[in-house]
Amino acid sequence: MNEWLVAALALLAGLVPCGIACLRGEPTERLVGLEMAGNVDALVLLLLAVGYRRSIYLDLALALALLTFAGGLVFARFLERWG
Amino acid sequence: MTPRAVTGTVLLVLGVGTELACCVGVLVMRGVYDKLHYTAPATTLGALAIAGAVLLRTSLVQFGIKALLVALALLITNPVLTHATARAARIRRFGAWTIQEEEDEEVERP
Repeated sequence: MNEWLVAALALLAGLVPCGIACLRGEPTERLVGLEMAGNVDALVLLLLAVGYRRSIYLDLALALALLTFAGGLVFARFLERWG
Repeated sequence: MTPRAVTGTVLLVLGVGTELACCVGVLVMRGVYDKLHYTAPATTLGALAIAGAVLLRTSLVQFGIKALLVALALLITNPVLTHATARAARIRRFGAWTIQEEEDEEVERP
């Protein structure tokens, strides 16, 4: 287990507060928790890719970072109009 | 350890610490606008510090470049997402607003 995997494990602990934030509050507050979780997830995937030394996994982190953006925009639009 | 490796480790610890602090901040703060503030350091300071650590500590250039790409993607997209979320929160609370045309005003002539 190298330092990258340790860092990824530590970052995974950050998903717990984000998950709790997703479960309480108003819908827009929950959306903020979801966005934060997406950001942390992208960095966890980045660290895992470096830890396992597989450069192809880095594409996954990049795709997740972009899809978090798209998903967040869709959720925000939905909450703005119908939520 | 070389100075390069030490700097990389410090950046890694800084990045992970920033991310964890921001996650706790999102949980603890009350209200959507206060919570939104905590997504900014996570995608600027935290992401760039982790990408810098990868760039400094890995021997392959490909890892460093792709890590920078991920950090840049987060850096560019997060302000837009924050704006959209804050806009949605405002519209949900106060309703949509429209731009009204200004009434014609009489201009005094000398």
